[in-house]
Amino acid sequence: MSDNISAVERPPLRRDTEHGLVAGVCAGLANLLAIDPIILRVAFGAASLVGGAGIALYIVAWALVPEEGERGTLMARFAGRRETWFAVSGIVMLLLAVLLLFREWGIWFSDAIVWPVLMAGAGAALIWRQSAGAAGTEDPAAPERSRPDRPLDPFRALRLPTPALGPVAVGAMLVVGGGLVFLWLNEALAPARDVILAVVVVIVALGLMLAPWWLRLVRGLSAERAERIRSQERSDVAAHLHDSVLQTLALVQKRADDPRAVASLARRQERELRAWLEGGRPDPGDSLARSLEAAAAEVEEAHGVPVDVVAVGDAPMDERAAALVAAAREAMVNAAKFAGGAPVQLYAEVGEERAEVFVRDRGPGFDVSAVPADRRGVRESIVGRMDRHGGRAVVHSAPGAGTEVELVMER
Amino acid sequence: MNRAPDRLLLVAGLAISGLGVLLLLDRTGVIDLHFGYALPAILACVGAILLAAGLEGPRR
Repeated sequence: MSDNISAVERPPLRRDTEHGLVAGVCAGLANLLAIDPIILRVAFGAASLVGGAGIALYIVAWALVPEEGERGTLMARFAGRRETWFAVSGIVMLLLAVLLLFREWGIWFSDAIVWPVLMAGAGAALIWRQSAGAAGTEDPAAPERSRPDRPLDPFRALRLPTPALGPVAVGAMLVVGGGLVFLWLNEALAPARDVILAVVVVIVALGLMLAPWWLRLVRGLSAERAERIRSQERSDVAAHLHDSVLQTLALVQKRADDPRAVASLARRQERELRAWLEGGRPDPGDSLARSLEAAAAEVEEAHGVPVDVVAVGDAPMDERAAALVAAAREAMVNAAKFAGGAPVQLYAEVGEERAEVFVRDRGPGFDVSAVPADRRGVRESIVGRMDRHGGRAVVHSAPGAGTEVELVMER
Repeated sequence: MNRAPDRLLLVAGLAISGLGVLLLLDRTGVIDLHFGYALPAILACVGAILLAAGLEGPRR
């Protein structure tokens, strides 16, 4: 029994970047030892005063201890791109060899010029390389940020993806270091030494004072962004379940007296749900007009109500077009269910700038404002879905006057 | 059994052979290989091998 008590499982050592100040080494160690991380931070700080031992230890731990949620260590991640490092080191060594040869032959400006320029040039190349790479990268949150109802972020183009931040920081340090080495070698720093020292002291003091607020702000912003993305994903899943599973269950209840129809509905729903679970994303090879026609055919088959489709223009499918098709499908299902068997008409116009879809029926109509809050059909599957993907949906209806659902998606 | 030449081994062999020739010429007194020339030569040799290894990609 005592063995069992002593063998209480401890969590593995992981860097806790969420609660850490630099790389989460102290926070991770504190989690393992079940102590306050501030004790370890003070210990590392004190050790740093002894010939920088604390800093060296911290860097070693940073390289060797994996981050929470990551599979490999920082060193392993670098080792994963070993070929790139080999090629870069090789080029640097060859360049260095050529420069040293020129220096030996006397084809040389001065050590005080060439080495700082080389250092700054390497840093600038690193920054340019990362910035150029970032221009073409896709941000998963881009569609969410590009919603027209949100103000445009003027600094969006300046943002770099997180993996590029490390190399850019190293590049910036090389550029600044190159500049400082140039000034130092040319004895231009001596007169300004006192001023620079004072500025550095003030910056360090301000950094120490403002760091906790800055960290809290950064964490708050990233948590808020993650929550927003999660909420959007949840809404998408709920809308999809409503459109597929709940609609099929309603049809099953309606046709309970026809076992063959019920079996057919169940098979179709199973196929559709499996495809969604496996793929989850729209097929980009398909076209918008064909997808609308397919959705209309599905509704026609499931509900036995004729659906006329007129589509002018076409566009390839993407995430927004898929949302438009899903909203149009829901509007057709509503029309088939509530229009009393009257034919449903779908008119789609796809242009360069926008795609518009109108779903009309000559049914009894309804009072839009009187729809109960717990009905998700119009609110979530049509209006909410279009809104989440940067479009808009308007329902025009009145008792006795039929219904028209207008869907507009900017392209 | 036609095997393509291993580019990395080829470059490494040529680079080290070149370095050996330089050292031999220095030893025989044909050239004077002092530090100012030896360092670039060694750097170029190691750099060429590293570059070849980097361009080779992961070895299977």
